[in-house]
Amino acid sequence: MYAAKRPSKWPVVVILVLASWLVVACGSRISNANWPGLTADGENVYVAYGGGVLAYNVVERTQEWLFAPQPGRLAFYAAPSVQDGRVVVGDFGASGGFFSPGVVTTIYGLEGNGGSTPDELWANSELTTDRIVASALQVGDTAFIGTSDNQLLAIDTISGDLIWKFETEHSIWAQPSYKDGIIFVTCLDKNVYALDAETGAEKWRLTLEGATAAHPLVDTDYLYVTSFDRKLHAISLSTGEAQWVVDAQDWIWGAAALSDGAVYFADAKGNVYAVDAETGDALWTQQVDGVVQASTVVANGIVYVASVTTLEDGQPAGLLTALSTDGGAQLWQQETIVPLYTTPVLVDGTLVVAVQTADTLLIAFDAATGVKQWDLPIPGQS
Amino acid sequence: MWDTFILNPMVNGLLLLYDLLGNNFILAIAVFTVLIRAVTLPLNMRQQRSSMRMQEMQPQIQAIQKKYRDNPQKMQEEFQKIGYNPAESLAGCLPLLIQFPVLIGLYQAITTVLGATPQALFGLTQRVYSSIDLTQLLPIENKFLWLNMAQPDPWLVLPILVFATMFLQQKLLTPPTPKDKSAQDNPAAQMTQSMQYTMPIMFGFFSLQFPAGLSIYFVLSNLIGIAQGYYMRQTMPPAPAKPTPIKSEVEVAEKKSEPKSGKSGSDQKKSSTAGKRRSAKR
Repeated sequence: MYAAKRPSKWPVVVILVLASWLVVACGSRISNANWPGLTADGENVYVAYGGGVLAYNVVERTQEWLFAPQPGRLAFYAAPSVQDGRVVVGDFGASGGFFSPGVVTTIYGLEGNGGSTPDELWANSELTTDRIVASALQVGDTAFIGTSDNQLLAIDTISGDLIWKFETEHSIWAQPSYKDGIIFVTCLDKNVYALDAETGAEKWRLTLEGATAAHPLVDTDYLYVTSFDRKLHAISLSTGEAQWVVDAQDWIWGAAALSDGAVYFADAKGNVYAVDAETGDALWTQQVDGVVQASTVVANGIVYVASVTTLEDGQPAGLLTALSTDGGAQLWQQETIVPLYTTPVLVDGTLVVAVQTADTLLIAFDAATGVKQWDLPIPGQS
Repeated sequence: MWDTFILNPMVNGLLLLYDLLGNNFILAIAVFTVLIRAVTLPLNMRQQRSSMRMQEMQPQIQAIQKKYRDNPQKMQEEFQKIGYNPAESLAGCLPLLIQFPVLIGLYQAITTVLGATPQALFGLTQRVYSSIDLTQLLPIENKFLWLNMAQPDPWLVLPILVFATMFLQQKLLTPPTPKDKSAQDNPAAQMTQSMQYTMPIMFGFFSLQFPAGLSIYFVLSNLIGIAQGYYMRQTMPPAPAKPTPIKSEVEVAEKKSEPKSGKSGSDQKKSSTAGKRRSAKR
């Protein structure tokens, strides 16, 4: 029982080294995933999900193309930016190699060509060293995109070359906004920046009390910014001075929406607010079930709110709620089998939400009635 | 269960330290490391003492094992006489076993606290105790020199530091093995020696993959381990050069059972080798 045989040390060494190598080689360089990024243009929706970027025609219900340069290794979660069929999107980064732990993050220019994969107009891996969470904004031939390594980049969408970059104090997770030659950027560093779109020169900045993960909403005179400081801020476009604020009850993750002189937004507790766009006076407040992370969407007199809820059996689920812009009355509500984090998009009377389950990527509802129309499996899965 | 008792307290502990230490994440990790090491210190010291004692007793243990390989009961009795309990060597692994959940929890806590993606930050908000004002703490500063705390060190400095400090720590905590034949025949000593090289290599590789924040934890933890090893070396009495009285008892027992061999206690090495040859012939 206790008779000792002299074991060779080498099997132990080899097994441990092999185990280490397996952990390093098989593990994903960036382990954190995210929820899908969704955007729409004309009849198409574009969804960036773990495996790639998919363009899908909602009206004809056909897959336009799929961009998946390195399936299983490279993930996309930033909502693609689309202008005249040209798509700009950044990835979540990939390992630089076994002995090169640096993350290689690439920003791509894509264009559909009628085939199953788009043309890759350019791919630039020299611009950033951290994952791209934010959606780009295309203005003319320039794309403005925020990065997780604290930069706002202006990129030539024809060549993919850098035009200028602006350093912030922390990550940018939100799409910038543009008006009259000025780019407006919100940042996790609690600042709102106004930059010259041509040069990147800072026009003004306003420091809030909380970080911001939602894109700023531009109107004629005001910039509306929602923040983790539980406030909606109305900021003068020209001077950057705060005009008024509206208090909410919890963090505001999603961006505000504007329609017919009213601003709509929701906090994490599920409170949906409608305020006067000029004065900030409350119009109505409504409560939806669950935690709201996504931005509110407004169209045709309806406010759409996607939320994350918990079923009676403790399982997480999603809720899609439609409220009337006139008083906030609930028009319809639909439940989804998984939480809804991604902001829905509207295409030709259809409200499309993106989820990421083992077999479903998109779910479509009739925007007026809430009746489910179809769902789309993840490409490559039936 | 895991979240409630391991991850969430660690996440909130890190956030609290981050708040108290002027929003410096490196300092928060450093103090957190010291606290973790302080909590596991009694266990670590016990493991080291036990390990050193086992190492010293190996010649006697081997002699008993060889002598009474066909009589387990007698072997146990002889073990008791010299104060050796085989179960104790297993208990010595306890600190290591305790450190694994801590390590896994810390890995998750660092990636969660840094909230490097919206989903991670959203997850963080669900874990933070109400007494902590996350709005004021955000954004967690994730940059230090060239490092992004949520990503591996691109310049390999941290993996090299992890390897070097862990190697030094292992070297200090491993009792020196005599370079005689009995030591070479000693499986425990062989295993300890191989671990001295394997563990630093393994953790060096891990650091190629792990977030820089976790590698910093490894380096700091190893430095504390080095200090602890140095202290142990200074305070533990050196291993006796000559057989202890207990060892003599074992040798007396050997002598009695082999009256014709005429070997003295000091010829134990030869006896051991001869025994091995006899076994091989059989």
